[in-house]
Amino acid sequence: MQNKNSNNKVASRRGFLKNMAASVVAAGALAPAALRAADDPIIMKEQEWSTKLGLPVDKNLYGVPSPYEHNVVRRVHKLLSSGDMYASVAMCPIQDLEGIITPNGLFFNRCHGGVAIVDPNKYRLMIHGLVEKPLVLTLDELKRYPTESVIHFIECPANGSTEWRAPQFNTLQFIKGMMSQAEWTGVRLKHILKDLGIKPEAKWVLAEGNDNSHMGRTVPLEKIMDDAMVVWAQNGEALRPEQGYPVRLLVPGWEGNLNVKWLNRLEIGDKPWHAKEETSKYTMLMPSGKAIRYFWPMEVNSVITRPCPDKDWKGYKAGDVIEIEGLAWSGHGLVKGVDISFDGGENWVEAELKGLVLPKAWTRFSYIFKWDGKPLLLSSRAYDEVGNVQPTIDQEVKKMGVENIYHRNAIVTWEVKANGEVNNVHIRS
Amino acid sequence: MFILDLKKISGVVAMALIASSSLIAGGNEIKLKTPSLEERAIDGAIKYEIKDGVYANTYRVNPKAYKMAPKYGRAATPNEIKAWDIDVRYDWQGLPEGKGTATEGDELFEKHCAMCHGDMGTGGNGYPKLTGGDISTLTNQLVDPANGDEPPERSIGAYWPYASTLWWYVKTGMPFPHPMSLTNDEVYSIVAYLLQVEEIQIDGKDIEDDQVIDKKTLMKVVMPNVNGFYPEVNGPDGPQNMKKFLSDPKNYGTPTTRCMKNCPKGKVVHIKAALDDGIIPPSTQIKDLPKEKASGGDGADSKAAKLFESKCNACHGNAAIAPVPGDKDAWEARIKQGQETLYDHAIKGFQGMPPKGGAADLSDADVKAIVDYMVGKSK
Repeated sequence: MQNKNSNNKVASRRGFLKNMAASVVAAGALAPAALRAADDPIIMKEQEWSTKLGLPVDKNLYGVPSPYEHNVVRRVHKLLSSGDMYASVAMCPIQDLEGIITPNGLFFNRCHGGVAIVDPNKYRLMIHGLVEKPLVLTLDELKRYPTESVIHFIECPANGSTEWRAPQFNTLQFIKGMMSQAEWTGVRLKHILKDLGIKPEAKWVLAEGNDNSHMGRTVPLEKIMDDAMVVWAQNGEALRPEQGYPVRLLVPGWEGNLNVKWLNRLEIGDKPWHAKEETSKYTMLMPSGKAIRYFWPMEVNSVITRPCPDKDWKGYKAGDVIEIEGLAWSGHGLVKGVDISFDGGENWVEAELKGLVLPKAWTRFSYIFKWDGKPLLLSSRAYDEVGNVQPTIDQEVKKMGVENIYHRNAIVTWEVKANGEVNNVHIRS
Repeated sequence: MFILDLKKISGVVAMALIASSSLIAGGNEIKLKTPSLEERAIDGAIKYEIKDGVYANTYRVNPKAYKMAPKYGRAATPNEIKAWDIDVRYDWQGLPEGKGTATEGDELFEKHCAMCHGDMGTGGNGYPKLTGGDISTLTNQLVDPANGDEPPERSIGAYWPYASTLWWYVKTGMPFPHPMSLTNDEVYSIVAYLLQVEEIQIDGKDIEDDQVIDKKTLMKVVMPNVNGFYPEVNGPDGPQNMKKFLSDPKNYGTPTTRCMKNCPKGKVVHIKAALDDGIIPPSTQIKDLPKEKASGGDGADSKAAKLFESKCNACHGNAAIAPVPGDKDAWEARIKQGQETLYDHAIKGFQGMPPKGGAADLSDADVKAIVDYMVGKSK
């Protein structure tokens, strides 16, 4: 049996070679007429990369994106900084993101005194104040606690702040790019605190960073003992310096600024602190002249990412069936659903959620649409687990005015023109 | 499913119904189910639990991790706590002893602050305006500048509720390029100066130029806008006040109904003055290879370049404040003065330039090397 088998193999190899020779002759005969008008030359001709060696495996020992992706970057604008690029923000290119995880190098970066580069060997976390046992942990000791990994967005409450008066940007990156999402790994603070003997009068916690700005924010103890974590990893690797390497606070669903980066101190107290970022800034001045303070959660929100001003419909024609896709999120819990309007908010239909639907996390939504080639006013409106619905611009401005800078979550509308061009517009009464 | 006119039902009954199910109100609107206060966390969000080893109906967790009581790390020593406990709470907890005067503060402000915040803190260069506001402007709404609308002026005296924040901010966050470098007395002086400029009174009187402001006097300051913020968070009910506020979306202009049909019609407002031109780098969807960068050779990796980046760039990176390396026009006349003059100005200070740019830890040799680097880039 074995011999017969091997004879068969030999026979079939010979047959294969014979056929090969014949096909080479045939191809040669056809060669001069090879390219027909309908033939794509990219298919008809071998490309450079398929006819030579690629990069050796030891070329990028920490991988980098394809050089062709060099335009997918964070971007900055002088008007969004306090005088320079140290107290400033670099916006996430959410128009170019897929799914719900932001690559670490593209995660938006807001800091108040530059990106500190902290030596992890000199990292210490101190917990003190109204506790029986004040504590110091090194990074190694911190990492001994049982870990959890959770997926949450972090959004600066100033996201969309340039839109209060009128539309001003025509790129999604600057309309909604002050946010990103990652899988965060760390320890729940309740595991660390439960053994420290928190005193009964304790109600508030000051979380402070060790960067240039020594940024501090007050967090209620209830949140700290609920889902707050100290995290040291994002998307499987150590935090990037821009995200507070080696350790940041994670307060799921809350203002980005409260997720204190370069965290080195937690002080337990009986009163809130009223730090610079909860008095002079991160307070919402209302038309009454009074300001809301301590507005912690990021409210329900959404935006259509395909199409958007960056990803237009110029390549489509009337009759094409197109997927409309976007991101919805809420710091109050799950996104329960998203509605889509094609007429600037007069009539709405329900979109589908897709992929992972997680609490306090970006959620993708989708709507399959047959375009008749006519202009549209395309809007999305999310609603969440606590029953909150994204307001119209009129509804939001009527209550909040235009001077509170933060927490803008009004419905975003794209004008889709007949030629497929997409523009950022506002719908106002 | 049934149609319900909420207006005809008493509030209590309506709330109970809303809490129990989704309703269609008036046919075109879907009223959403809203949780009770008990079902909410402190921020009005859904309160998630661990049930059968699953957190928030989403993440599996190890229940034993929640039962263990790890004892890692060590006790913080009193001296360590003192070294890091640098905050100053609104009730002045944490304010250290010290003293200063507005006159001294004026000089210090000129030296350390005015290059960014402008003379007397009146702003400029894109950095925050600190002074010159008025509490009466806080009701201003700048809807349309063409209408003559004025913005609210959120200066220290007009907006900030507590002077403690000012002391804490200056001590731990300023001067911007080298925070934690001012002595407590210097901070008292700068705070006294800024409060004087903002016409804040102590004991009903203006702050005199040479009046000594110490811990006791500073703690008497009551800022004009102390009652300009809500909810009330300071008392024992603070956390509960926050929970109530955040659990009621009416407080922040958020509806709980979805209008589905024949909703209010609006007009389209287009972008009038686009800001896209200022985006760096310019937005694009092009997929191509990056252009070859000009090869180095400007010493960008040198020690001087790195020192420049960390010690000088906060001011010398902004043409409105100081000459930026590479700006040949700005540097031409300066370079003509000769290297020795530039060294001298850089080390000893000159006009708006503080000695060594305020980075006292730099050696003279470092400063000279940085000057060489800046001049080299600017020829």
